[in-house]
Amino acid sequence: MQDFSGYTPTWCPGCGDWGIGIAIKSALAQMGLSPSDVGVVFGIGCSGNMNDFLNAYAIHGLHGRAIPTAIGYKLANHKMPIIVVAGDGDCYGEGGNHFLHACRGNHDITVIIHDNRVYGLTTGQVAPTAMKGALSKSTPYGLIESPIDPLGLALTQGATFISQSFAGDAQHMISMIKSAINHKGFSLVNVLQPCVTFNKINGYQYYRKRVYKLIDNKVNNKDRAMKIIQDIEKEKYPLGIIYQNQQSSYHEQLPQLTKQTLIKNEKFVDFKLIERDFI
Amino acid sequence: MKSTWMIGGEAGFGIMTTGILMAKIANRLGYSVFDYIEYPSLIRGGHNSYKLTLSDEKVYCLQENINILVCLNEETWKFHQTQLEDNAVVVFDSEIFKPQSSKKLQMLDIPTGKMLKELNGQVVMKNTIALGASCALLGINFQDVNMLLSETFEKKGKEVVDYNRQFAKRGYDYVIDRYKALIQPVLSQNKNNKQLLLTGNEAFALGAVIGDCRFYAAYPMTPSSSVLTVLADWQRKTQMVVRHSEDEIAVVSSALGASFAGARSAVGSSGGGFALMVESLSFSGIAEIPLVVFLSQRPGPATGMPTWTEQGDLLFAVNAGHGEFPKIVLAAGDIEEMIFLTAKAFNLAEIYQLPVIVMSDMYLSESHATITQSILDNIKNNYKVNRGKTIDFVNEGKYSRYQITEDGISPRLIPGLKDYYYQANSYEHLQDGHTTEDSNERIAQVKKRTVKINTYLKNDFSTPLVYGNLERAKIVLVGWGSIKGILLETQKQIPDCAVIHFNHVYPLDKEKVIKLFNQDKRYVLVENNSTGQFGKLLQMEIGIEIKEKVLRYDGRPITVKEVMVKVK
Repeated sequence: MQDFSGYTPTWCPGCGDWGIGIAIKSALAQMGLSPSDVGVVFGIGCSGNMNDFLNAYAIHGLHGRAIPTAIGYKLANHKMPIIVVAGDGDCYGEGGNHFLHACRGNHDITVIIHDNRVYGLTTGQVAPTAMKGALSKSTPYGLIESPIDPLGLALTQGATFISQSFAGDAQHMISMIKSAINHKGFSLVNVLQPCVTFNKINGYQYYRKRVYKLIDNKVNNKDRAMKIIQDIEKEKYPLGIIYQNQQSSYHEQLPQLTKQTLIKNEKFVDFKLIERDFI
Repeated sequence: MKSTWMIGGEAGFGIMTTGILMAKIANRLGYSVFDYIEYPSLIRGGHNSYKLTLSDEKVYCLQENINILVCLNEETWKFHQTQLEDNAVVVFDSEIFKPQSSKKLQMLDIPTGKMLKELNGQVVMKNTIALGASCALLGINFQDVNMLLSETFEKKGKEVVDYNRQFAKRGYDYVIDRYKALIQPVLSQNKNNKQLLLTGNEAFALGAVIGDCRFYAAYPMTPSSSVLTVLADWQRKTQMVVRHSEDEIAVVSSALGASFAGARSAVGSSGGGFALMVESLSFSGIAEIPLVVFLSQRPGPATGMPTWTEQGDLLFAVNAGHGEFPKIVLAAGDIEEMIFLTAKAFNLAEIYQLPVIVMSDMYLSESHATITQSILDNIKNNYKVNRGKTIDFVNEGKYSRYQITEDGISPRLIPGLKDYYYQANSYEHLQDGHTTEDSNERIAQVKKRTVKINTYLKNDFSTPLVYGNLERAKIVLVGWGSIKGILLETQKQIPDCAVIHFNHVYPLDKEKVIKLFNQDKRYVLVENNSTGQFGKLLQMEIGIEIKEKVLRYDGRPITVKEVMVKVK
C-alpha cells in the first residue's frame, strides 16, 4: 500500500476523502497491483486532488471530462485496469452526458465518485446531488431542484455494476472497489462522503443513522435494484452491490483489439486494401 | 483539351452519385478532374448541382464556364445558364421544359420521361440515362461505362447491374444515333495513367492511416463527417479504433486519453464542434499530450451555412484554447498536400508533444480531385514514423515527465513500464508532474513549452512555396490553404505573376517569410472570408501589411474570373 502513497494529502481534517484515499490504495495493494500496473484519471475538485497523493500512470485532466478520457485510455491499452476518481459535481453535473454514455457503452472502467453533495474546492456551492432546499453560497434561498439519482441513471442507462459505499466504512469501500475493478464492464462505486467544512447536513452522524447493508445476493435483478434505489428518496441509503450483470464490454466487441492492445498492434501497411475505394 | 460538365436536379434524386460516377470514369481513363457539389442543408427537396472540370492536363480548380449542362429540372437551366460557354451543349427533356436563350447553344432534347415509361424505370434512373448520354457526348467508349456500372453495383447483384446498364445504354445510344455532331471527344482516349480520385476528407483519412493514426473520434458535422465514415468503414482493415462519441468534448477527451496511453490519436469536426473542444486543446497544451485535430471550415457564425465553404476559422484555430501554449496549424492546398501534411501532423504532434490542427474547408473537403498512384506511393514510401522523444524504457534512475531540456521537449514515457509511474497534469506542474504554484517552477515550465516552438521553426517549419518567378513578377498573389488551385489557375492567365502559398500557417518564421514580402511588388491577398484573416496573421507575426485584397464570403469559392477582374 505504501507504494501507492504520493504526497501527504491536503484535505481538511475529518474529510471523507481521507477514508476513500486509503480504501483505494488498500484495494489496489490487496489485488497485488503496483502503481505501474494501474491507470487512474482524476477529475477536478477535492477528490481529483488525490492526483498528488496516489501513485499510478495517471491523468489529472479537466473538470467533467475524466470519464471520456478514461474511455480513450482503456481503448488504447485495454490490459490496464482504468479507474476514474472524481466528484459528484464533476461526473453528474459538468460531465453528466459522458456518464450516461459510458454506462450504455459498458466501457470497462471503474468510476469511483466522491458524493459529498456540495462543491468543496470552490468553497461551498450546491452539487447536483444536494437535497432540495439545500442552503449554500449559490443557493442562499434554498435549492429549487431535486437531487439527481445517479444509481437510477446508471441502472436505466445500462451500467453493468452499480454499487454504493460510505466513506466512514473503510472495509466496505475496499470490498466494493475490488469487486468493481474485477467486474468486466462499466462499474460505479458511489461513495457517500461527508464534507465536514461545507456540508453541515450530510455528515458522518447523518449517514451512520441512515445507511444499511444489502444482505441478499440477487444482484442480477433490475426490479430489486430499482426498489433499493427508491429507498434513497426516503433518506435510507443502501450500501453494497445494487446491481451486477455480466455482458461484453465495449472493447471486447472490437475485433481490432482481440489479439493485443491498440498500442501494440503492428502498423498498417497493406494500402491496396483501402486505395481500391478511390479507383 | 478541357471541358466542364454540370448536372443539376432536385435534391434526393441521385445527382451527386451520378456526378461522382462521371468523375470516376474520367479518373479511370487517366484524366485530371476537379469537381464541386452545391447542395442545401436538406436531405430532400431544394436544388442540387454537381460540376466537373476534366482535362488531359492537371486541373487545379473548377473552370467557371460550362461546356455541357445536363438539366434534370428547369431550375438547373435558370440557375446556371449564365455560365454557359458559347456553343455549349444543353441536355434537357422538352416534356419538362424548353430552354430559351439568345446565346449560341447546342440543344440536345432527350425524352427521359418517355424512356422511363418504356423501360418501366424509377425516377432516379433519369440520372443514369443522362450519364449515358453525357458519356457519349464526351466520346467515352460504352465498354468503360459498362465496366464502372458493373463494379459500382455488383454488390447489389447482377440484376441491379443490368437494370442500370439498360438506362445508361438508352441515353448513350440516343446521342450516338441522333446527335453525333455534338460529340466533344474530350475523354476519347485511355491515357493509361494509374491514378486515384478522392476528396479532401478522404485524403485526410488516407493521410491519417499513413501517419499510423490508431484512434480517431468524431461527432458528425458537415463538412468533416466523411472522415469519420471513411475511417469507420476501414477499421477492420486498418485496425484503427474509430468512435462516434456522444459529443465533441467526449471526442477530444477520449483522444487525449488514448494518446496519453501511447496511441496516435486524432479528432475531426467543423468550427462549431471544434469550438466545444478548445478547453481540451488547452489541456493538450499544458499536459503536453500529442493530438491531431482535423478542422474543416464552413461559413459561421454558429450554425451558419452548413453545406457551403469559407476560410473563416483561421484566427480562431490559431488562438483556440485559453492560456498560453504552443500549437501548430497546417492548411492543405489540395489533396496531395492533405495526404502529406496529415501524415506529417502525426509526427509533429509526437515530436513536439502538442496539438496540431490540420485545416480544410468544404471546398477542399468535399471536392474530388485526382492524384497519380506514383505521387501517392512517393508520399507513402518517404514517410517515416517519427515519435520524437517518446520512450518505452528508462535508462536509469528517476524519470521526470516534464524535465527541463534545451529544446523544450521532455522524454515522454508510454505508460506501463514496470517500476515507474507519472501523471500528466492539467494543473501547472513540477518537472515530475506534481501540481505546483511556485513562481520559479511556473516560469521554467512556461519557458520550456514556449521553446518548443523555436525548435519547430528551426527543424520542421516549411516556408511558403513560391510558384512562378518571384524576382521577375510584378503581381504576387498570396493565399493559404484550399485557395491554392485558384491562385495557380489565375497565375497562368496573368503575365508576370507569381503565387506565394502557405500551408504551414502558424507559427510563422519571421526571418524566412519576410524575405518574400520586402520587395517592390504588387502583393494581392486572396481569401475566402470577409476580414482577410491571413493578412492579419501576417501583420501580427511578420509585421507586413498587404493592402490589396480579394475576399469572398458568400459561401461560394472564389473564382479565377473574380481574381482577374480585381487584379486588372
